[in-house]
Amino acid sequence: MPGLAGEIPPPAEDSGEQELVAAILRNDRKAAARFVAAHIDAIYTYARQRLLPRADLVEDTVQEVFLAALGGLRHFQGQSSLRTWLIGIARHKIEDVYRRRLRAPESLDDTAQLDRDPPDAAPMVDEQLDTTRAREKARSVIARLPERYGLILLWRYWEQRSTRDIAQAVGVTEKSVERMLARARARFKQLWLEE
Amino acid sequence: MFDDLWFERLAGMGEGSDERAPARLKSKVYSAAIMRMAGSAPLLDLKETKNSGGHLCVFEHSVALLPMGTAIRSMNPCRVCHARVLGERMEHAPIFWPGCPYSEFHNG
Repeated sequence: MPGLAGEIPPPAEDSGEQELVAAILRNDRKAAARFVAAHIDAIYTYARQRLLPRADLVEDTVQEVFLAALGGLRHFQGQSSLRTWLIGIARHKIEDVYRRRLRAPESLDDTAQLDRDPPDAAPMVDEQLDTTRAREKARSVIARLPERYGLILLWRYWEQRSTRDIAQAVGVTEKSVERMLARARARFKQLWLEE
Repeated sequence: MFDDLWFERLAGMGEGSDERAPARLKSKVYSAAIMRMAGSAPLLDLKETKNSGGHLCVFEHSVALLPMGTAIRSMNPCRVCHARVLGERMEHAPIFWPGCPYSEFHNG
């Protein structure tokens, strides 16, 4: 009869992480400082890039991630690295923000500006800009979009969630998500070509 | 153009390297974490913290030396320390105590 070992996922690659977790669970304050120092830059970057239209929410979200992590640390099994686990928590927190913000009624201002039709021609991303500049330009454009347009583009393309998933999370029809995405893409296009 | 594929390519360009979180945010998150930990159970006694390799700041060191019970040594002296207040409010806080997490967040 085969042993259980083969069925158990491999432990976290770093035994130092397990020690850190054990120290935090002993309520060791210095371990908590190491935990924050080791991971906050990555979580901050992750949240900032996904909450561009609501940069004011980034710091609160980062704090919520760490507090949720502390609350759930007892259940951390070491099947992934702490960083991966924290990113998973951050993803959920950020999706909560998307969901809350996209459930809010849409402002008329958001749709009115679509009347100004942008030019049709749009070069492919890599024909026009190098990767770094394209990334920066995308961030800048998203930051200038109406909040809900920026969030839905991030959710759909950067987080790679299907329109069906988004529709379910927000509690609207898939058609409605597709319509909002179409408007968001059109506004993005306007701003991209203006920059 | 500017269809699904275009956006997928743009998003697929990655995220670049990590940005540094503001030191003030690190300080706030650490303070909130300690509050949460202290709210659930006493913090690890400062003597034990030191024995497990933690570097104490001068104030924590003084508390650890006091001939008092574990309850005192499990308290959080940062709660009443100016370093915490400065660390949470300023981006380049002038805190230079060795062993102080706030100092490390700002100067690390």
